[in-house]
Amino acid sequence: MSNTAEVVVIGGGIIGCAISYYLAKRKVSVICLEGSDHIGNGGSSRNGGGVRQSGRDPRELPLVMYGIKKFWPTLSDELEVDCEYHQDGNLRLGKTEKHREILTGLTERAVKVGLDVKMIDGTEVRRINPYLSEEVTCASWCPTDGHANPLTTTLGYYKAARKLGVRFISGEKAVGLKKVKGKLRKVLCESGNIYEGETVVLAAGYESREIAASVGIDIPMQRAMLEALVTEAEPHMFDQMLGTAEADFYGHQTKHGSFVFGGSSGLEGFTKDNGTPICYSKTAPCICRGILKYFPVLADAKIVRTWAGWMDKCADGVPVLGEVAEVPGLVLACGFTGHGFGIAPGAADQLAELITTGKTEIDLSELRYDRFKAKI
Amino acid sequence: MNTVNDRARDIGPFVPAADDDMLICRCEEITKGEIRKAVHEGMWTMTEIRRYLRTGMGLCQGQTCSRLVKGIVARELGISPAELEPATSRVPMRPIEMHIFANEKKEGETDE
Amino acid sequence: MKRYDLIIVGAGPSGLSAAIEAAKRGLKVVVFDENEKPGGQLFKQIHKFFGSREHRAKVRGFVIGRQLLEEADKAGVKVVLNATVIGLYQDKEVVVKTGDGVCHYKGDAIIIATGAAENMVTFPGWTLPGVIGAGAAQTMINMHGVLPGKRVLMLGSGNVGLVVSFQLMQCGCEVAALVDAAPRVGGYGVHAAKVARTGVPFYLSHTIVKAEGEEYVTGVTIAEIDKNFRFIEGTEKHFDVDTICLAVGLSPMSQLLKMAGCKMEDNPARGGQVPVCDEHGRTSLEGVFVAGDVSGIEEASSAMIEGCMAGIAAAEYLGYIEKEELEKEMVSLDVALDGLRQGMFAPKNRGKAIARTEEGIEISESLLQNGYVADDEIARFPGVMHKAGVHPVMECTQNIPCNPCQDACPRGCISIGENITSLPLVVDGAECINCGMCVASCSGQAIFLVDEDCGDGTATVTIPYEFLPLPETGTKGAALGRNGKKVCEAEVLGVKASKAFDKTNLLTMRVPKEYAMKARFFQTEQKGAGA
Repeated sequence: MSNTAEVVVIGGGIIGCAISYYLAKRKVSVICLEGSDHIGNGGSSRNGGGVRQSGRDPRELPLVMYGIKKFWPTLSDELEVDCEYHQDGNLRLGKTEKHREILTGLTERAVKVGLDVKMIDGTEVRRINPYLSEEVTCASWCPTDGHANPLTTTLGYYKAARKLGVRFISGEKAVGLKKVKGKLRKVLCESGNIYEGETVVLAAGYESREIAASVGIDIPMQRAMLEALVTEAEPHMFDQMLGTAEADFYGHQTKHGSFVFGGSSGLEGFTKDNGTPICYSKTAPCICRGILKYFPVLADAKIVRTWAGWMDKCADGVPVLGEVAEVPGLVLACGFTGHGFGIAPGAADQLAELITTGKTEIDLSELRYDRFKAKI
Repeated sequence: MNTVNDRARDIGPFVPAADDDMLICRCEEITKGEIRKAVHEGMWTMTEIRRYLRTGMGLCQGQTCSRLVKGIVARELGISPAELEPATSRVPMRPIEMHIFANEKKEGETDE
Repeated sequence: MKRYDLIIVGAGPSGLSAAIEAAKRGLKVVVFDENEKPGGQLFKQIHKFFGSREHRAKVRGFVIGRQLLEEADKAGVKVVLNATVIGLYQDKEVVVKTGDGVCHYKGDAIIIATGAAENMVTFPGWTLPGVIGAGAAQTMINMHGVLPGKRVLMLGSGNVGLVVSFQLMQCGCEVAALVDAAPRVGGYGVHAAKVARTGVPFYLSHTIVKAEGEEYVTGVTIAEIDKNFRFIEGTEKHFDVDTICLAVGLSPMSQLLKMAGCKMEDNPARGGQVPVCDEHGRTSLEGVFVAGDVSGIEEASSAMIEGCMAGIAAAEYLGYIEKEELEKEMVSLDVALDGLRQGMFAPKNRGKAIARTEEGIEISESLLQNGYVADDEIARFPGVMHKAGVHPVMECTQNIPCNPCQDACPRGCISIGENITSLPLVVDGAECINCGMCVASCSGQAIFLVDEDCGDGTATVTIPYEFLPLPETGTKGAALGRNGKKVCEAEVLGVKASKAFDKTNLLTMRVPKEYAMKARFFQTEQKGAGA
């Protein structure tokens, strides 16, 4: 089988799978390379499932709003898989005056970009979600936010793309890129295999940094480990996505009935990188304590699993998307900084549009690679 | 460590079988037919099957079904079960109540 | 954080053995076990173990468990029960659930000895209540005193299936049939024979077609299968049972190792997913060792030796002993382990069809196909001979590593010789005094004392008898043959119970002398075996 396609996508996470899908829909031939043995093995299958606009940086907000309008509500039908999308709002909870300040600031910035989000008081919060403890005194409320199942959504994009003829190869770890006559052409893999395309999309999360370095591109990002946990199935309680001003946990109840919560211990920036995403012993108990302060009713819910994943944390907290002037043929799609799931459909569609037409409906200029500058 | 696996390889069509409605993962109520079908939809590893269908994600954490699922997936792919990766294991070994996990005791408190 | 020299996960045979050896060498050792009772599987093993005296042969499993606990206690090992290790983290840290909280511990070394869990097979109806693992059934009857049901079908003819079938009968259950998809009995022939002689039919090359019942199991249909594991039409057999026990193998419970990033392999010969480790249990994680079933499914006897090895290896790793001592100890342990891995059932012989014993005797095909040695096959084995007066008849027909009978006879009537797997034979000229020690010593219940001709047309046959109530002297009933079918009338002449017999009672029955070499079990007329 030929190792050449119009586009070679590096990374079989939700970004790579979705870009492959939207390209294939536009009749483009695609080879998608996944470095691990499993499709969607990075953050795509380890995140908390938020499909959220509130709390985002104004630079990426238009892109996620576009995706929520255009793709998310019909995604299950389109991919023929249950993405478990719920658009029942996002509550970002606060307990103190300081929390109120943080939340008000976030809310004001989002309203300016045209997002329907507002501050509400504790009584209103408990009207929306009666299970929350009395300690909660305020929240930001965005009714058009929601959540979905990252596992079925990622694999759904994979399945649909594969059905449209995208050639996926797992266990094929890209290690470098190579220009031919001034234009990016080749993808070199650890196995020795070489793939060629007119365009190469780099959507390999943090690993993109090292791959891009082979053509002299340095994306300022770090790897940071995040952890999450899931409970056994509980009777249905609520459908909103939850977060907190303090960021001590976030999560939702899934269609299955289990609660998926993510959180942190505060030591994340300094954890030892031992090569595999192994949980830290201190984190899950800390997440549990965080949850119980807001949801005392979950005290007896059993934790079934905990897991960890790395995010590609970009210097300024928003992704790096689009073409790179110095390397014609290269399209970047990385640095999503832990909130790449909800934005994936919109971002992937627009990058596919960019690759096929050279234009995008949403302005991506503020997310380009050439935005990074020194502070003074 | 990783194995190059071209997902375009032809594994033949999904052929319905008489025992397709037999439960395999009891915790999550996943049938043999669902597992076989998922393989034909491209889910070629134990991890992908688990994430796609929830097999082994229930209270028993795959203690009962992981071996069974592996056999079914391997057969559908026409490979030996040993070629599939082992099921994932994650903390906690046994399900644990949130309030207990949250309660980190001081050294020795539970000990004497 | 609380730190120990050595943290052991699992207080079963291997974990406790490791703890004893390490603590004896000065290590500060803690053992965590999630169960309320220590001993792991040992405490539900009410049968006598095979092996040699050094391997605690002819001692019942739960007694071995008690002995290990005493030794551990004496050595200063701390055993914490109801303590579930929920995670093995980086830097040899474990998080343990005890009571209403969790506690963090670090070990300079860690031994994972978590054992194994039962496998399942699927068939229509396998999720009905009433379909249970044989090990679970054993836990119910021997640990909790609860019967899983009244009438049981056992799937699996390995040692677990055979031993649990027998124990279910001891508890008053009826075993309707013993079924295996394999063409030959998988477990020890002596275990099969003691089940078969009570009247349990064996169906080899058969498996379950379906479990029947709406809310719970009310019956089961089995059928014969061909070489390709397809059902042969017209061979269906139905049984009214309320319980289906599955004894279809074990899988190592290696999850803790996997989650900690230990290098694993899928090794069918060792029972599934196991850590990659050297012969003394060292894994790919520095300072983390394994012992027992978690590193490969075997017997409790070998688990104990593996435990000793890991415990000593951990002591050397932490500098409590010198390398020379380690090497010296390992030599004898290697020999012991090797001894257990000999004979027809040795790991290296797994899956091989063996035609002859080490002595060159053709093996009993009937034993492998029906669970009992046929009457016309038994005479060719060295333990079976004719003699005037009372003498032992040893129906031990397979080479297994076991020799307590040779030590049991105070008169030296029985010899196995140098090779522990050899078949026992009756020593020429030695005089049997009818003491019964050999009968009680045989873990396989394969030794009988027979007086072939009492002079009045009758013979006496003394059998090992581990059922309650014990029949009273004078009770009339049926003598059953090796195949569990009635061969003749029989009368109980007496039942001897002695402390030295360790609960193996010796039932002596009188039968017409022509049945002396055929009558091998006694059944009271009104009740079934084991009732």
